[in-house]
Amino acid sequence: MSKQLILKTDAPPAPRSGVRRIRSSVFYRRHKDAIVASVILGPMLIWWLVVSGFPTLFGFFLGFFEWIGVTNAPKFIGFKNYVRFFQDSVYYLALWRAIWIGLLVTGLTIVGGFAVALLMNLPLAGKGLYRTMWYIPVVTSVVATTQIFNIFLDANNGVINNILKSLGKEPILWQYSVGWGVFWIVVYSIWKGIGGTALIWLAGLQSVDPVMYEAAAIDGANRRQQFWHVTIPGIKPIATFVVITGLIGAVQIYEQVIFITGGGPFGQTEVLVYRILRDGFFDFNLGMAGASSVVLAAVVFIFTVVYFRYATENERNERKKAKGGRTA
Amino acid sequence: MSRQWRPIHVFGHVVLFFGGLALVYPILFMVMTGFMTAEEYAGTVIGPFPIAKDPTIENFMTLVGGAGDPLVRLYFLNSILRTAYGLVWAVLTAFLGGYVFSRLKFRGRDTLFLVLLATQMVPPVVAIIPTFIEFARWPLAGGNYIFTGGEGILDSWWVYLVGGPAINIMGTFLVKQSLEKVPFELDEAAKIDGAGTFRIIFQILMPLQFPILAFIAITTSQAIWNDWATPFFFTTSNELQTLPAAISRMSSLAQNPMGLPNYPLMITLGLGITIPMLLIFFFFQRYIVQGLANTGIKG
Repeated sequence: MSKQLILKTDAPPAPRSGVRRIRSSVFYRRHKDAIVASVILGPMLIWWLVVSGFPTLFGFFLGFFEWIGVTNAPKFIGFKNYVRFFQDSVYYLALWRAIWIGLLVTGLTIVGGFAVALLMNLPLAGKGLYRTMWYIPVVTSVVATTQIFNIFLDANNGVINNILKSLGKEPILWQYSVGWGVFWIVVYSIWKGIGGTALIWLAGLQSVDPVMYEAAAIDGANRRQQFWHVTIPGIKPIATFVVITGLIGAVQIYEQVIFITGGGPFGQTEVLVYRILRDGFFDFNLGMAGASSVVLAAVVFIFTVVYFRYATENERNERKKAKGGRTA
Repeated sequence: MSRQWRPIHVFGHVVLFFGGLALVYPILFMVMTGFMTAEEYAGTVIGPFPIAKDPTIENFMTLVGGAGDPLVRLYFLNSILRTAYGLVWAVLTAFLGGYVFSRLKFRGRDTLFLVLLATQMVPPVVAIIPTFIEFARWPLAGGNYIFTGGEGILDSWWVYLVGGPAINIMGTFLVKQSLEKVPFELDEAAKIDGAGTFRIIFQILMPLQFPILAFIAITTSQAIWNDWATPFFFTTSNELQTLPAAISRMSSLAQNPMGLPNYPLMITLGLGITIPMLLIFFFFQRYIVQGLANTGIKG
């Protein structure tokens, strides 16, 4: 290193152009990293503030105003929107529905995806084909595939009802019944999400160091023991990722609600995000939309914090256990 | 790897194949209905395998060449332009951000990164309505005086140009994670050989990060390509719609009992959205698994 520096000082003095003078100044050399960082990051941060930071903050801010329509002047009303949120059953029921539908979808997708990933991790012929088949729903567009589900579920000329009719059974009004509406929203979400989750699990399974398996095998562990003592601990980090991103995504499910049930019947399948969009873009009740957004953000935040606490506690316990084992 | 035939392998083949078939079935259904005309679709009892009596490729012609509906070609073009633009931005910002946060030392770096990561937890829907207001009141655009009246940049290409890219924080996180595994000595060696900062960034570090950048490129392009909400909420003119937004408009028209919705055309357009992404996935799938496995997402 020092040799290189000497070589550099020995070089003939460079012609004194502006850029070179700046680059050789003491200030530049001392703060080089910070300068380069601000040159790269500065414009990006400004842009981010304009298109993402400001709107997010503004959304929180909107919750304190009564603002119907974009033309009227906003009126400060304090916490009234929030009070209304918890008094008007439309809102808290929508939140509650978002949470339990989200939990149901995440749970089923994660468990199912893990089972599929285990099978995909076997040395099977044609793995690439299977991977593609399972991943196809993930890359499809929501608007296109919900149309297909609508064609399947249509009350008059739907595929499922046509089959029921040909079997001599009564057709069912799928999209006009609350239970079936939620059922199909969940089925659609799993259909769309399971391949992606399986792929992330697969990546997790493959990132487990094969040396660990060999070591376990040498120690005489059978396959089941290897699974419980090598695979499961090895994929814990990815499990955190899958659960958190899955939950955050699933609580915000709304497209399937818009396009499959339309929130019906009588708003009984509305979820919170759907409600926010309705308030914002159809009723122009911007204050209420802002307040609902804040509540949703709070729920997402709580999910994340609870899970992180759980995950880190687990980790701490394990570290303690490992330490105790070593000293004993 | 020697292939064995144990019972679990047979089980795996059966589950993966038939499960996969069930997942693909709606897509097959799309292809089959694509051969029908609107009249035939409305007149038949749709079964699980709708086979057109008199197959026509008119829908597919509309999809590819815009025959019958000249706007379709425009939707396609808009989709492609928007995706390409967003993709370049996402990859560039993710990589540069990852470089800054993993390689450069400056005061407040970790705090800044944590703040950015924390904002990632705020649901995107929180920003939709404020963004709408912001765009509507954009200063000095669309007949605005500063902060009052007018349409701002709503219903113009600015929606896509401004509203799409910012910092791709998830991507930045992944690149940071992956760059931290590249030894610092590599940068130093390049510096000694006389490479400048940007040369190190683009010629030495960037090629090494190809799997993770490919992963970011694939996932972002999917997200932008399939995004219907931005054009649906922020633009009104037909010329600005992308394919998914066009379909969402058609389907809301379909709820109108007066008109005969052209279901087969809608479905074919849906197929048109799906196929490019499918091809991309098919050819780059190994980067998805590899990229994820290499960076090691550590929660």
